[in-house]
Amino acid sequence: MRPNDEFSCADAIDFLEPYLDGDLPTGQADRLREHLGSCAACAAELALAERIQRELRSLPQPDCPPEVIERVVRAGRGEVVPFPGRKQPLRWRIAAAAAVMALTLGGGSLFVHLQNQRLQSQREQQVAQATQEARFALAYLGRATHKVGLDVRDEVLQKRLVIPTTRSVSRSLSDLPDEPRKEF
Amino acid sequence: MLTAFEDTAHRYQRRVYSFARYLLSSREEAEDVTQEVLLRLWRHRQGVDEERLGSWLLRVTRNACYDLLRKRRSEAAAGRVRTFDDEAAQEVASGEPGPQDRAEASDFRRRLLAALTKIGEPYKSVIILREVQGLPHREIGEALGIPEATVRVHLHRGRRRLRERLNEDVHHATE
Repeated sequence: MRPNDEFSCADAIDFLEPYLDGDLPTGQADRLREHLGSCAACAAELALAERIQRELRSLPQPDCPPEVIERVVRAGRGEVVPFPGRKQPLRWRIAAAAAVMALTLGGGSLFVHLQNQRLQSQREQQVAQATQEARFALAYLGRATHKVGLDVRDEVLQKRLVIPTTRSVSRSLSDLPDEPRKEF
Repeated sequence: MLTAFEDTAHRYQRRVYSFARYLLSSREEAEDVTQEVLLRLWRHRQGVDEERLGSWLLRVTRNACYDLLRKRRSEAAAGRVRTFDDEAAQEVASGEPGPQDRAEASDFRRRLLAALTKIGEPYKSVIILREVQGLPHREIGEALGIPEATVRVHLHRGRRRLRERLNEDVHHATE
């Protein structure tokens, strides 16, 4: 909005609360008054804004109940003061306390027994699983060792022992003078 | 020391309690918050500057109320949405002449208080502290940790939101 423009209804609606609080610059306040003089709808909005403010300012400020202050002051003196809890009704708190007591006294030993059984069972399972894993590992290691042994035989020993021996025998045989085949 | 504390507690109890009461719209929760705030004041009585005591108390009150409101949001899922209770509406009944006028004024106040629960923060806090309690902008700014100019802006926007809410009510009622 430019400074000398007339107020539109949208502008006027925006400025009603600052106007009521005296926070609007003088020029804008004058133009708003001018608009309100010729616009019944915006004047009605101003009346509502005034009523809201008046009503808010007339709302009571209730006092805190004196027993609340008294409890705090007594606590400050070092007295043991019961502070009433409001979060749960009394019957629920009693029921909850009874349930906790029953669980603690009645179910406590059963809980410990079951807990021991559960731990024993867990230990046995762990031992069995560890044994099985060790067996599997050993078997795997055995198979791997065997395979390595075969590989060594095939790759190394055969090349260095079997093949040269075969060649040597072949060479020796070829060096022999030809003999007439004996007839049996 | 305790006498000074008692004086302070009695001097500020209304400000703390009414702030909590309008923020929470619940008498019992406002009592709990006031008790908690005053106990906290007792524990920190040595460390709170006397000049800033008012804004310190309001800040602690607001934080305690926010904690409760956060808890309440989870309860809202279970359908336990609160509005300003009828007892409070009775407390604030006007003294205008004639039963018709009184009923109308009371209805307007009830709708206004209902709208106040819906405009959100920080507008609600600023409106309670400025319009209901009449505190200066500077003290509100100190309590809420915002500049004075921002307090004014929040105040204008908050009251405008109230106006829009009330207009919506009228619009819905005439449909």
